[in-house]
Amino acid sequence: MMTCRELAELLIDFVSGELAPEHQERVEQHLGLCPPCVVFVETYKITIRLTRQLPRVPLPPGLERRLREALAEMKRGNPEHER
Amino acid sequence: MDEPQQPPAPVPLTAEQVFTDYAPRVYNLARRMLGNDADAEDVTQDVLLQVVRKLDTFRGESDIATWLHRVTVNAALTHRNKRARREEHEVHDPLDHLFQDGHHGTPLRPWSVTPDQQVLDQERQQLIEDAIGRLPENYRDVYVLADVEGLSNPDIADLLGLSVSAVKSRLHRGRVLMRHALAPHFEEMPA
Repeated sequence: MMTCRELAELLIDFVSGELAPEHQERVEQHLGLCPPCVVFVETYKITIRLTRQLPRVPLPPGLERRLREALAEMKRGNPEHER
Repeated sequence: MDEPQQPPAPVPLTAEQVFTDYAPRVYNLARRMLGNDADAEDVTQDVLLQVVRKLDTFRGESDIATWLHRVTVNAALTHRNKRARREEHEVHDPLDHLFQDGHHGTPLRPWSVTPDQQVLDQERQQLIEDAIGRLPENYRDVYVLADVEGLSNPDIADLLGLSVSAVKSRLHRGRVLMRHALAPHFEEMPA
């Protein structure tokens, strides 16, 4: 049977469904016998899912003001950008 | 019979649209890569002004989105390299610390996060942002581009000048470190 470390090395392909069939079978066999690896795989997937839920933070007001000033400056220098 | 209709010509982007639609994307990516608000603001300004100067050359939304990722990543990496007295840290393989003789070295507890939990509260958002900020830079860049921005491994490899297998290795180690950092905050309390 593969070790937990060997399973961990295959995890990125396992969670994305890209594991070769012979590895897939060995991983599933290991998971059937190793409760810590079941938790490891599940919490690895939760980590990905939680990260994907991170919202975008809004621009800080000072930055927005600076950007608008820089844009206005650019338009003064090159009216082509005013469209 | 009617003539087949031509698809409508893409509507040109305006500078105002760029600022409204793209500035937050650029700022968030730079902030997470650099872990520093002031540096992220400088990068955002640099990138946005570059976009506005090149507005005429874009052929639509996907064109500008791809270009924005590239320019933002390059600007962030350049900014990071310019930092004075940057400390180099040797990065140890996190998998080496997790396993002893090939098996889990410490007990693992399940997490109290339900599969249908869709909205992160602010406290959890901050925990995740802080954990991303503590990742070693090599892992953080790939982790942010993959798991926050949703880019594919080949696209990240192209952006960072890495092989796809190097991207996967770094992404996996970044995820393992993130899992380890979040575990104490998300584990079920023992009965």
